[in-house]
Amino acid sequence: MISRRPRCRLTVRNALAFGFVAVGLIVAGPWVFDSYLLNILIKAFFFAIVAITVDVLWGYTGYLTFGQSAFFGMGAYAAGLVFTHQGFSAGSAALALALAAAVSATTAGLVGWLSFYRGASPFFATVISLVLPIVSTQLLLSGGDWTGSSSGLTGYATFDLSLEAWYWVSGALLMCIGLLAWMVIRSDAGRVLASIRDNEERCSYLGINVPFVKIVLLVATAVVAGIAGFGYGSFSGVVAPELAGFVLGTELIVWIALGGRGTLWGPLIGTILINVATAYLSSSMPFVWQLILGLAFVVVIVLLPKGLIPPLLRPFGLGRPATDTPTLVERSVRLMPAAAGEPAFALSGVTKSFGSFKVLEGINLEASAGELVGLIGPNGAGKTTLMRCMSDGADRTSGQVRLCGHDIQQNSPEDCVRFGLGRKFQNANVFESLTVAECLRMAGYILERPSIVRRASTLALPPYAIDVIRVTGLDGKLDLVARDLSHGQQQALELAMVLALAPRIVLLDEPTAGLTKAERTQIGHVLSSLANRYKLCCLLVEHDLDFVEEIATRIVVMHQGKIAMQGTFKEVAESELVKTIYAGSARAALEAA
Amino acid sequence: MSTCALQLSSVTTGYASSVVLRGTSLTVARGESVALLGKNGMGKSTLLKTIMGYLPKKAGTIHLHGADITRMQPHRISRMGVAYAAQEHAIFTDLSIRDNLRLGLVKNATFDERFAEIEPIFPLFKTRLKQQAGTLSGGEQKMLLVARALMMRPCVVLLDEITEGLQPSVIERIADALLWERQTHGTTMMLIEQNVPFALKVADRYLVLKQGEIVDQGESKVSSAMVSIFNHLKV
Repeated sequence: MISRRPRCRLTVRNALAFGFVAVGLIVAGPWVFDSYLLNILIKAFFFAIVAITVDVLWGYTGYLTFGQSAFFGMGAYAAGLVFTHQGFSAGSAALALALAAAVSATTAGLVGWLSFYRGASPFFATVISLVLPIVSTQLLLSGGDWTGSSSGLTGYATFDLSLEAWYWVSGALLMCIGLLAWMVIRSDAGRVLASIRDNEERCSYLGINVPFVKIVLLVATAVVAGIAGFGYGSFSGVVAPELAGFVLGTELIVWIALGGRGTLWGPLIGTILINVATAYLSSSMPFVWQLILGLAFVVVIVLLPKGLIPPLLRPFGLGRPATDTPTLVERSVRLMPAAAGEPAFALSGVTKSFGSFKVLEGINLEASAGELVGLIGPNGAGKTTLMRCMSDGADRTSGQVRLCGHDIQQNSPEDCVRFGLGRKFQNANVFESLTVAECLRMAGYILERPSIVRRASTLALPPYAIDVIRVTGLDGKLDLVARDLSHGQQQALELAMVLALAPRIVLLDEPTAGLTKAERTQIGHVLSSLANRYKLCCLLVEHDLDFVEEIATRIVVMHQGKIAMQGTFKEVAESELVKTIYAGSARAALEAA
Repeated sequence: MSTCALQLSSVTTGYASSVVLRGTSLTVARGESVALLGKNGMGKSTLLKTIMGYLPKKAGTIHLHGADITRMQPHRISRMGVAYAAQEHAIFTDLSIRDNLRLGLVKNATFDERFAEIEPIFPLFKTRLKQQAGTLSGGEQKMLLVARALMMRPCVVLLDEITEGLQPSVIERIADALLWERQTHGTTMMLIEQNVPFALKVADRYLVLKQGEIVDQGESKVSSAMVSIFNHLKV
């Protein structure tokens, strides 16, 4: 019996209560705290802003970065350098702020381009993020009098604000950034980040340009970190190379892990508390305090992997994504016009080799809209490889692939998806930490851009995708997390996701594996209707010959990387070749009878 | 020595967001082969994962040949002679086929002898022992999984949808191999299957699971078995 965990949710009342407490603390701070504490809190607020950006990158998008301190340092030095060398004026302040944003953005764009190119490993991106603060610090150290080298810049004129005013400004900025990040994270677009963290391959096969999203996100967070740095530099009147260093970058990671990665509130509150505690305790026990922090980090990682703050806030419903179940609505799909000469897909001379080993050799294959081609053949014949070559331009060794009239050349999977392709993988390939409804929404990404501020209350899917989830009972499980679905349900979910793209060509690699015979029959009806009614072109790899017989309009047999024969089911099933290489004695006996 | 190979008493278990098995009890005799059938999401894979020690038990006990394995770690259970062919992500893609097979063995020296046993079932591995396992096709990886489980010469083998994605002739060979394995070594088997004819051929007894509970069971070789099972599998 599957039971749903009662989820605590952030109610409007709780949210308002938290808002009032936060606003209350910001407004009343100067009357409650002494000036030493105010000073510490203002700095902590600026650090907390950077911590939020790191949490968005690491906690939500899965990009472990030590480099946000570099952007913070750039912002701080923009203030320090401009105010030292130009003097302080309204104009120079605007110039410094613009520089803080522009330099951070440019550097982030460059770093993003280096870190997230197609095929780069997450490890590589993290190493680059480690190099960035080290290089920045070296540049600052070698700047001589201009950057103040190791002693940094001090004593420059800056904004003439009282401590109270700084507290209010920094507090308000932190609240704005926190609120903005929270809105984006819980919006539909925010789930794109979680999708990227879960499964980049699936993202690109849904037409999401993952490197681009990551670069844009890095640039945006870098600008925020740069502005926070500008605030810090303007407030403190001192900038030092440590502000851009990787020690701060690492401390940010520690603060976030302690506070609770991937919750926004945890890192925000954690950063403030740790900074305040550090200010009081590091003077009384300078060495032991760092040791305590380090130990706490280890203990929290081992015992409380979700951090310290979320368990404290759970009763109030914070730190958990809201799980409103959307209502399903039908998205109208345009019926494809009858094939006007151009086949849905056309492969000519497609070859794929690993070194001297040829997996595919001179494959020529065409299919039109409304055809459902069954691809059969022994295990290892190259069926999945053929599908890969059709959906990723960089994969084949030679030959030409045309999808709906577009030559795919060396194009990426997301381009192929835009040409009208949908691909269902052999193993269930879904977003494990997202709910069923969220997975399906991500699948409609190219048809309907998810909103950056809102959560939609409806989920629009093409009729055939709705059929798949109805048949497999997923419509009653829209709020379940995909990880907790059975293998067969994950397969069905992935099939529904691929169909949610409203593709014109569907590649299906054993779409019914793990489903019961009765479910297979029903999915079979859905697949038939894709070709007959909606005029999609389907290429289906399947080992259940009865299933293929029922729905396929044409059968293609692959053997050792070549197309061995094609024809109707009867022709193929009767051939000696298929009997000997593939079907085994039972089938042969059946045919004989 | 107990005549029961496996004994589950009132086992309750599940995942973070759901309870899947509620007080499930079942017994598998030594040398018996039992098929677990049922629709998706009914707790079949969860049952095998629970036996293997991958999921924390909320209540109940599990005994293997009379020994309590309820709180045992998966590697200890494996060393007691339980082989498990999981549904997915269960081979080491960066290792060679040979190394994948070798990992199922307690002693390396027995490799040649054991490999000779499974080689007729999976002839494709003979010439490709050095090939990286990740470069095998999906179906071939599945065969590797079954081969590794059999190489262990286990006393209990747990097989989770091993026929998925395999060509019909290979499925036939696997069925023969499992029957041979039982005859020669008296191996106890539990298998999850969507391929009902295969399951009935290999198993003595079948169980149908529905929402974590056993709703039907019977001998697999009686003629009414198929009808009874399909009634439960209807959508």
